[in-house]
Amino acid sequence: MSGHHSSSYKLLLSVAGALLALTVLTVVVHYMYIPEPYSIIIAVVIAVFKAALVALFFMNLYWDSRFNTMLFITAFVFLTLLVGITLLDVLSRDVPVPSF
Amino acid sequence: MANHSTTTPAHLLHHYVDSDQQFDAAKLGMWIFIVTETLMFGGLFGAYIVYRVLYPELFTLASEELDTIMGSINTVVLIGSSLTVALAIKSAQVNNKRNIIINLAITLALACVFMIIKYFEYTHKFELGIFPGVYYEYGGIDHPQAHIFFSIYYMMTGLHGIHITIGIGLMIWLLVKASKNEFHSGYYTPVEIVGLYWHLVDIIWIFLFPLFYLID
Amino acid sequence: MATAEASSNISKVQVRRYKPEEYAEHNYLNVAKGLWSWLTSVDHKRIGILYLVTTTFFFLVGGVMALLLRIELWTPAQTFVDANTYNQLFTLHGAIMIFLFLVPSVPAVLGNFILPIQVGAKDMALPRLNLFSYYLYAIGSLIAVYSILHGGIDTGWTFYTPYSSQTGGAVTSLVFGVFVVGFSSILTAVNIIATIHKLRAPGITWSKLSLFGWSLYATSIIIILATPVLAITLLLLTMERIFGIGIFDPALGGDPILFQHFFWFYSHPAVYIMIVPGFGIVSEIVSTFTRKVIFGYWAIAISSLAIAFIGFLVWGHHMFVSGQASLASMVFSFLSFLVGIPTGIKIFNWLATMHRGSISLRTPLLYILGFLFLFTIGGFTGIALATLALDVHVHDTYYVVAHFHFVMVGGMVMAFMGGLHYWWPKMFGRMYNQAVAKIGCLLIFLGFNLTFMPQFIMGIQGMPRRYFNYIDQFQGLHQISTIGAFVLGIGFIIAIANFIMAIYKGKKAGANPWGSRALEWQIPSPVPPHNFDHIPVIIHGPYDYHQPMADFQLGLATNGHAPAHGAEISAEKQETEE
Ligand SMILES: [Cu+2]
Repeated sequence: MSGHHSSSYKLLLSVAGALLALTVLTVVVHYMYIPEPYSIIIAVVIAVFKAALVALFFMNLYWDSRFNTMLFITAFVFLTLLVGITLLDVLSRDVPVPSF
Repeated sequence: MANHSTTTPAHLLHHYVDSDQQFDAAKLGMWIFIVTETLMFGGLFGAYIVYRVLYPELFTLASEELDTIMGSINTVVLIGSSLTVALAIKSAQVNNKRNIIINLAITLALACVFMIIKYFEYTHKFELGIFPGVYYEYGGIDHPQAHIFFSIYYMMTGLHGIHITIGIGLMIWLLVKASKNEFHSGYYTPVEIVGLYWHLVDIIWIFLFPLFYLID
Repeated sequence: MATAEASSNISKVQVRRYKPEEYAEHNYLNVAKGLWSWLTSVDHKRIGILYLVTTTFFFLVGGVMALLLRIELWTPAQTFVDANTYNQLFTLHGAIMIFLFLVPSVPAVLGNFILPIQVGAKDMALPRLNLFSYYLYAIGSLIAVYSILHGGIDTGWTFYTPYSSQTGGAVTSLVFGVFVVGFSSILTAVNIIATIHKLRAPGITWSKLSLFGWSLYATSIIIILATPVLAITLLLLTMERIFGIGIFDPALGGDPILFQHFFWFYSHPAVYIMIVPGFGIVSEIVSTFTRKVIFGYWAIAISSLAIAFIGFLVWGHHMFVSGQASLASMVFSFLSFLVGIPTGIKIFNWLATMHRGSISLRTPLLYILGFLFLFTIGGFTGIALATLALDVHVHDTYYVVAHFHFVMVGGMVMAFMGGLHYWWPKMFGRMYNQAVAKIGCLLIFLGFNLTFMPQFIMGIQGMPRRYFNYIDQFQGLHQISTIGAFVLGIGFIIAIANFIMAIYKGKKAGANPWGSRALEWQIPSPVPPHNFDHIPVIIHGPYDYHQPMADFQLGLATNGHAPAHGAEISAEKQETEE
């Protein structure tokens, strides 16, 4: 398992192009003022897609040892645990923000 | 040494069998560090999510104060710098030493542009009286917890800015090494490692941008 | 790039065996002289010793604070310090013991020293990072010392908001010190994982990795996932103190319980950061001193990972009375019980290993027997505390104090002492006085029980923790506890003095004084500068006590090249010896 991977210039440039296009897309969608639950979902989905492009092709995860990909995914899994279980508490409390 | 009957390259540390093992170990180390970075920012994203759930209307109101144009420009700047870092690694792989330096220099310049734009964004807010925490004195947002939004904003963009600043230092370090001709197709581990770091900083911004600037 | 393909081709390597010398002329201790050579060395063994000296220093500082606390509690009212000093003492006792001693102790001392040898490597994967992580630790602990001298801290080691964001004293600087130390432990963990993945010598497959290695691996995973969350929490707390950002302050619209969520997301797994490496030591010692193949190798290895994972799901059991939603409390209570399963699996496997083994009661094993007894009590009382209704009754009482001291001191420190007694001859090439070591062990065991058993009783009867005064009915139990603390302290002093004496006066220990099959015992004591002359080829696992001792010699690939990383080694052996 050797981690050296050499991408072609064409690939690197087209990934950057795709990232720019997605950035334009997400700003355009923002100015269309889609109602609340959907706008955030669309924005986050586009962000996840962009992040995936960077991770796969700039950070070379696509060609790299699977273990590195697993590490990166693990980080998000545990982040979900932190946020998810914390929200479980916050959302089911009688008084969400205790005030003195 | 029985393990290396042929010549040992200068960069190879004594406890590795070959360059590939050393390269892979360094890269694995960086990926593990990326996990910790992700969770460190993750704590702030957690705070963001909790408060957005608690005060949804606050985020809609306060986000108006952020300049979408500036944020978009910075996003483009960071994407460009990610590309040039990748190109610097590519140049090292094909032994084009001049292009390593050029691409690293462009990355450095773009990182500085990012920080300058951030500087203008911050100073503009300070003029309005949007200071962090108890120093908050802006009256333009009709919400009792308005300062919380900006506390989170300053924490997240501030920590991200610190990472950019560290990245600027790392780029200068790489440039010094590159100008001494230390990188070539057989050895470019520092460029690869710093590159991973820089892409991570980019990814974090990719999430910060819609979560702060693009709230309807 | 070619090696990727090549490595799969080398499936059989001709192995020549050689017997290492008993004593090497050069070892890591005498290879370079002077303090400067120690402070700048990237050798994992020297860094391990640096950590050993520093953590022992902080252990003694924290221990003295504990004794001062116990003296103060001799009488129900004020004995010799005022209430504010008392608050600072228990805060610093907790913070120092946890962040400056327990967390770095096993991974950074024994892990640094032993792990690379156990995987057949010449150093940790990233040696310069290793030294850097030591200096981060040193800087962080100096900042902590500075905070003690400039104002002190009275928040308790948990730094709960909003009190911690408003009280005076040096909270900000201590929090910053802990932040820096946290990064030190992250870098150590990065190094451990990279070492285990990339530097295992040919022949050390995952199923031949030592259980100490497995436990460090699990620990490192917890460190890299949990510590950054502590770092950001402490950063938020610092900003709360400097700018009043209000995220954790209810007066400013923030949520103080959020701080507790973030804090315990680190600090519950941190309990496993502290105890899981101890499990690894227990596995090594139990197998060595009963001369048996470890029972349930995979069960022990995987249960460490299971503990690491489940440990992330249970943090809310510290918050049952915090105002947390009762639904969340119920979920956390249930999940907390689950931790008992992998822990129980470990205990059963160790007992099964000892069953019908030829047990030799040397000092390391005595410590481990103490561990098994005390840790089991600590574990069971932990199950009691995870029970929602019971916890509401004993929350924040001496019952909790006794519980975590049984786990941390009775478990972790006993294992650490056992590990030190086990590996000391390897580290310094000298054997300590056996009789004195056993007396030390006995005093520690007795003193510990004398100190903390009464605290269970007081806790159940309602004695709250962290209180300066108490009602008269507890005086007898408190005094027993104080006497026990001094016995405990004397035990530690005897053990430490015995160690130091051994370096100067001890008899030379051979390469393998315990007759162990593990790899670190197949090389000279003290360890040569680069551990191995050649990257060795390993044929038998570390617990193969069913194989004759003569089989445990290092192999060396005979074609002159070490086989590529990950190559499979055939056990074809040529009976040539050097
Ligand atoms: Cu816990």
